[in-house]
Amino acid sequence: MSTIDLWAKEGYLSTPDGNSIYFWGFAKSEAGPAQLPGPHIIARQGETITVNLHNTLPEPVSLSFTGQRGVLADGNPVGPQHQNDQLVSFVNHAEPGDSITYTFTPSHPGTFMYESGTYPHKQVPMGLYGGLVVRPIDYNPDIQEYKTVYGYGTDTEYDREYLLITGEIDPNLHQAVKEELPYHTGSYLPRYWTLNGRCAPDTMFPDNLDYLPHQPYGSMVMGQPGERILMRYIGAGVSNHPLHPHGNHARVVGRDGRLLRNGSGDISFKRFTVLVGAGQTYDLIYRWDGLGYSPENPIPTTLPDRRNMGIGDAGWTMWSGSPYLGRKGDIPVEVVSYNEFGEYYFMLHSHEELQITNWGEFPGGMMTWVAIYPSLSPDVGTLL
Amino acid sequence: MALITRIFQVAAETLSLPDRNVPFWGFSDVLFNKPQNPGPLIEATTGDLISIWLVRNFLQPVGEPLSILFPGQENVWARKIFSEPLVYEPVKPQYSSGVMMSLTNYLDENNSFDISIDYIFAANRPGIFLYESGTNPEKQIQMGLYGVIVVRPVGNSIFGHPNYKTAYGAGTGSSYDVEKILVLSEIDSGMHDNVEPGVYYDMLKFKPDFWVINGRSFPDSINDDNTSSQPYGSKIECRVGERVLLRIINAGFQNHTFHLGGFTGRVVAEDSFPLVAAEMDATYEKTGITLGSGQSVDLILTPETPGRFYLYDREYHHLVNNNVFPGGMMTVIDVRE
Repeated sequence: MSTIDLWAKEGYLSTPDGNSIYFWGFAKSEAGPAQLPGPHIIARQGETITVNLHNTLPEPVSLSFTGQRGVLADGNPVGPQHQNDQLVSFVNHAEPGDSITYTFTPSHPGTFMYESGTYPHKQVPMGLYGGLVVRPIDYNPDIQEYKTVYGYGTDTEYDREYLLITGEIDPNLHQAVKEELPYHTGSYLPRYWTLNGRCAPDTMFPDNLDYLPHQPYGSMVMGQPGERILMRYIGAGVSNHPLHPHGNHARVVGRDGRLLRNGSGDISFKRFTVLVGAGQTYDLIYRWDGLGYSPENPIPTTLPDRRNMGIGDAGWTMWSGSPYLGRKGDIPVEVVSYNEFGEYYFMLHSHEELQITNWGEFPGGMMTWVAIYPSLSPDVGTLL
Repeated sequence: MALITRIFQVAAETLSLPDRNVPFWGFSDVLFNKPQNPGPLIEATTGDLISIWLVRNFLQPVGEPLSILFPGQENVWARKIFSEPLVYEPVKPQYSSGVMMSLTNYLDENNSFDISIDYIFAANRPGIFLYESGTNPEKQIQMGLYGVIVVRPVGNSIFGHPNYKTAYGAGTGSSYDVEKILVLSEIDSGMHDNVEPGVYYDMLKFKPDFWVINGRSFPDSINDDNTSSQPYGSKIECRVGERVLLRIINAGFQNHTFHLGGFTGRVVAEDSFPLVAAEMDATYEKTGITLGSGQSVDLILTPETPGRFYLYDREYHHLVNNNVFPGGMMTVIDVRE
């Protein structure tokens, strides 16, 4: 039985345009920084998990585990909470300075989320959310047929996995919370759109950077040709986002933590854009074997469009300068290339393009890359 | 097969929202004589003929041409008393001097011969369907001119019939113990305040401030059905293990992502097309579902534990009345042992 401690705390987010935004998040330890999204919780089907929530914020906070059955709070079934006859929380909460213990036993594998169930119009946009991954009961990462999203024989094997959690930030409402001013949802106007709590280009940087202490998770999706790359999308914000791996297709194998299969009937489907609805999850398996590539034939039949590799007018590119995977070539002198080993890049972004800006400035926001490397360490693309 | 005839009028009334009253336009069943939001529920059985008479309101006209559109229905015919067409003709968009006036045949209050228009169609397939204004729809639908038609399969109410208590007939995974219709929408109170006294309102400024299920915001949504202008409650009551059929339909202009109270439901129909066919079962499970304007789903929940659970728009900033939580597009399911 695994136990996790989460501290609800305040902190400051960094955005690429230099802004610093007050937020509420979950920390892994009492002394640790609040983070956005909260720490990933990795559970296992059929194994009871305990989550201790410690509330250091000035109002009640709770954890709601959508899609989980039989959740207990301090040993009793969770239920709505009221103060002065007004609904405060959908589930039992911890008062400021208090703690509460939730336990549940996931009955299904898949991708889920956890979030505050208290004043959710404020606390969820403020950052009190995170991802919950439930491994199938027969999960074994060392055996290919058992390294799956939904269990042996469900055609959901994968080589690498990535969790991408969407969110939005209205800096004025965050400031209102900081200054204890009224929180007017009617004036809600997001200016930042986040993947794993970061805005592009920070999304493209590695995990656990010293200078982003509150935003530990990067969003780069990396793999090798022919690998099955699992992308778990979670819509944690209050808006829907059409996420789109540029010029590529992915197979949707699960939604809201449920395999898309009825008996022997496979109802998975391919999409190049999925609308990640608020509070909903998608599991997609993506495989790049594109454009005639094979190890024996490393020449792509079609040259990648350079425009798909450049980023705005910033004068930088992810292009290697060569159409051959694993080779680097010449690029114009005024252009800075961030290509490492001749890998290919495909943008993965919200197709609501206002959202790939930081406060209106492109590039930014809900955008990252899918990068196909000629070879890549097996340690890349694992969730701890 | 039966002929279901309803006589509708349009009138202005007042919606009671948690912190204020808002004028609206609604359909009334003339026999009951009070406009309501959503409009009167029309219940039919597959194969029935549905005939809706929209009668001119001489006493309290809203001052606009009026019509009813039936999305999802084929072969809708209309006639008018006492102007063209005098005999039933297929409905079609209406133009005046090359300008579109209406998406369908309408009642013109400027024409003194227009007493009533009646629409008729066969309810050919089961499901849940909207009816709504087809004239100045950007204004009239928001003002409240929408309602729901539910068509149940033959045998739905006959105990022992294979289709007994099913939404789409035997073998469609849609059998249920409890049925609830939830009509989602939103209200821009400032727009209503302007339109009802006849002040021009620029719909580009549309900015809703109330979010409703069956015309009511939380906590009014969980009150029982009554005889007000918002007659339909949204509270769901069931027992552990019962199959609850939620029929959710989005009558508003915005997309809404409806969250199922922490439960995982199985979607059995989209836009009233069942997801089970002879070759495959394409039903799927969800904890919440995004509905575009005009779309509907039917889904089955089976609560396993007693208690009170909240169902709501997962776009959390719609769970407010005048910026204050709790409110808005939210209701409850009470599960008993």
